[in-house]
Amino acid sequence: MSFNTSERYNSVVIEFKGNVMGGPDAVSLNEKLHELIDDGKTNIVVDLGKVKFMNSSGLGMLIGALTTMRKAGGDLRIANATDKIESLLIVTKLITVFKHFKSVEEAAESFQEN
Amino acid sequence: MSVKASTEHLAEVRDFVAAHAQNIGLSQKDISEIRLAVDEAYTNIIKHAYKNDPAKQVSIEIGSDNSKLWISLMDHGRSFDPKKYSEPDLIKRIKQKKRGGMGVYLIKKLMDQVQYNRKGTTNEIRMVKNL
Repeated sequence: MSFNTSERYNSVVIEFKGNVMGGPDAVSLNEKLHELIDDGKTNIVVDLGKVKFMNSSGLGMLIGALTTMRKAGGDLRIANATDKIESLLIVTKLITVFKHFKSVEEAAESFQEN
Repeated sequence: MSVKASTEHLAEVRDFVAAHAQNIGLSQKDISEIRLAVDEAYTNIIKHAYKNDPAKQVSIEIGSDNSKLWISLMDHGRSFDPKKYSEPDLIKRIKQKKRGGMGVYLIKKLMDQVQYNRKGTTNEIRMVKNL
């Protein structure tokens, strides 16, 4: 997996690309999140539109990231999940844990309401 | 096919089963469910049966008839006792910050039938998707 970050309104958008399978990616994502927290940026949108494949380790990484951001007083919201990823979130009931939005725009806007 | 027990081969294993599923005309949804189930089963063998020893071998067989597709993964490591498995409450686990436990749950949800067999020193997980 690779990811890149950009800013929209008062949130940071992290775009995931490729195969989301945890492992070493979880370490680099965690480092990135802690950098953002240190900069006072705790509103995160994860854009899942370019994810090709995700397994339970990838889901575990996403949950870890969510916990990190909520602990820091922010949130991690997901956007743009493909049908495949959405059905994975439904099967695992994780859809109830994440605030999820159809587009990055909507997810970023949702932080404006805070 | 037979591969070493390493996450390096995950994509190869997923592609192997996906190619067969594609050849028999399964839908994209079914193919992606099978890819994920096999990924989880193979990962569990690497982690739990072989405790991350990449020298060990995993055999994968796939077959189908008019009514079903089946996939077997075989190893010679520690066996998994399905009797000791209970469906995890995933939300509760997240609150308790426990990782893992999701793989077997996913396999059972994604496939129509899952069996664990042990013959001699061979463990087999056999997963069936009804067509």
